[in-house]
Amino acid sequence: MHDFIRSPVALVAAASTLLIVAAAMGAGLIAPYDSNDPASANVIDARLPPGSSGMTGDYYLLGTDPQGRDMLSAILFGTRMSLMVGASSVLLAALIGIVLGLVCGYFRGLLDAVIMRIADVQLGFPAILIALLIDGITRTVVDRATHDRLAIPVLVVAIAASFWVQYARTVRGLVLVERGKEYVLAAMVTGVSPLRIIASHIRPNVMGSVLVIATINLALAILTEATLSFLGVGVPPTQPSLGSLVRIGNEFLFSGDWWISIGPGAMLVALCLSVNLLADWLRDALNPRLSNG
Amino acid sequence: MATFILQRLSQALFVLLAAALASFVLLRYVGDPVNNMVGQAASLAEREAMRQALGLDQPVILQFAEFLRDAATGDLGVSYRFGIPVSKLLMERLPATLELSVCAMLIATLLGVPLGVWTALHRGNVVSHILLAASLIGVALPTFLIGIVLILVFSVWLGWLPSFGRGTTVALGHSWTTGLLTVSGLKALVLPSLTLGLFQMTLIMRLVRAEMLEVLRTDYIKFARARGLPEATINYDHALRNTLIPVITVIGLQFGNIFAFSIVVETVFQWPGLGLLVIQSIQFADVPLLASYLVLIALGFALINLAVDLLYVAIDPRVRADTLLARTVS
Repeated sequence: MHDFIRSPVALVAAASTLLIVAAAMGAGLIAPYDSNDPASANVIDARLPPGSSGMTGDYYLLGTDPQGRDMLSAILFGTRMSLMVGASSVLLAALIGIVLGLVCGYFRGLLDAVIMRIADVQLGFPAILIALLIDGITRTVVDRATHDRLAIPVLVVAIAASFWVQYARTVRGLVLVERGKEYVLAAMVTGVSPLRIIASHIRPNVMGSVLVIATINLALAILTEATLSFLGVGVPPTQPSLGSLVRIGNEFLFSGDWWISIGPGAMLVALCLSVNLLADWLRDALNPRLSNG
Repeated sequence: MATFILQRLSQALFVLLAAALASFVLLRYVGDPVNNMVGQAASLAEREAMRQALGLDQPVILQFAEFLRDAATGDLGVSYRFGIPVSKLLMERLPATLELSVCAMLIATLLGVPLGVWTALHRGNVVSHILLAASLIGVALPTFLIGIVLILVFSVWLGWLPSFGRGTTVALGHSWTTGLLTVSGLKALVLPSLTLGLFQMTLIMRLVRAEMLEVLRTDYIKFARARGLPEATINYDHALRNTLIPVITVIGLQFGNIFAFSIVVETVFQWPGLGLLVIQSIQFADVPLLASYLVLIALGFALINLAVDLLYVAIDPRVRADTLLARTVS
């Protein structure tokens, strides 16, 4: 805590992360309009620049999009969606990685060899490509209506599937070390069941590193979601996410309507930068040994 | 050494086989291949004949073997969307993507290495602090946003550079088209390759800086200074040369990332390469194209990873293959 207060960068990063998260979670309360309600869009007020007033007296601080949606509200709801998808996929990836890492590290053997070989192979591929292929292939496999319903869960699974390796490898490495320590050996000889040893003796000792990787990954997961949504294979266009908002704005760039893509884009950068700086600080503070996962 | 190469080769083969299997499953089980090829009015007998002609009545293992043989000879099926052989489509698009990726990597290296050296040599300097801060922001900047901002500034507001397409291209031989030989082609290349190279540039810059700082602290540099060698000789001949090994490895590894992010850049700039093709094929559910892309990507990455591993062993005499092997096994 002392270090935290002494590091101005960490303080600013934490404050802006908190602010963005609070604004996104409270989008329903503080946003001027409800972006998920089609009735709030006013087509007469389409593509107004920031600071304009609409035909019916509405005021749009950050302008409007092609459907006449208020950009400020869309950005707030979009940030909420991006944060939710990012956080869920990080949680899922961590869950998969921790379980596999614990099991592989504790039991070793054939299962360990197979899973770690898959992890090796997957490390050779960029995460974004894996997420894109999983998401893209699901899209071609199921029909459109089903996909629109499943788009967000599929996206979360696709991102998680491209990030689990790091957790699994780190946790496995730590388990290999912990496994030889006295407290684990003592538990073994007193006949504690392996599952119990893994879950309540070893697991608490690897969670610190997992937390560090998870914060580093959060920004990456948000960027991946935004990139996939920008490419049109992520969140469906009916629900705003930061990436899909930039995608909409991209189509109107040549009309000079810069605010539609720059607003959500700036929010995305601010969010990722704050989370990144916070993660850097957390890494140095919690675990100086773990520099690059 | 031989074990190491063999192990890496078998891993590459395993990846290829897995990709081929995934691609086969996609082709065989997503939709009915017969339905996709015969017309609405085809009778049951015609469908059965088609099924036999395609070999779909054979055991699945035999079908997979057949698929592998076809794929190895470059027969990857016919695109649903374009109705022409997939291999022809992919070959048409490959030059655009390769030119873009290589230019991006060149930009990243030619700017990143000197900037890294400069910031390492002028550590206390204000400019080098600014450069470092900028490179931190660069990591949080999504590629598509960089592209959009560049388009906005240089195409929409200033009108200096084109924002989409490859410009005029020239045919080289019978299958390669290049945009590098015309003015409009070169102008069209500037923004996309800058967008694609920017992230890699910040990465290379930070890496070179860190390595340089490390090397500059070593005894042989201090000794070279004590001998009174010219500053330039120490910095470039002695220090820089020893930082290049990790840098070359990272550049090799980053080539895979460049390839992946070229999908994003091609979408932003409507660059007619493989990435744009694959995004469109996902939206049109063009299964043969997607399946072949999967195999092509696996092949590309297997080759890149293999090349990087071999390069690593070849250029650094300190790295023995057995230590590399130990590293990958443990």
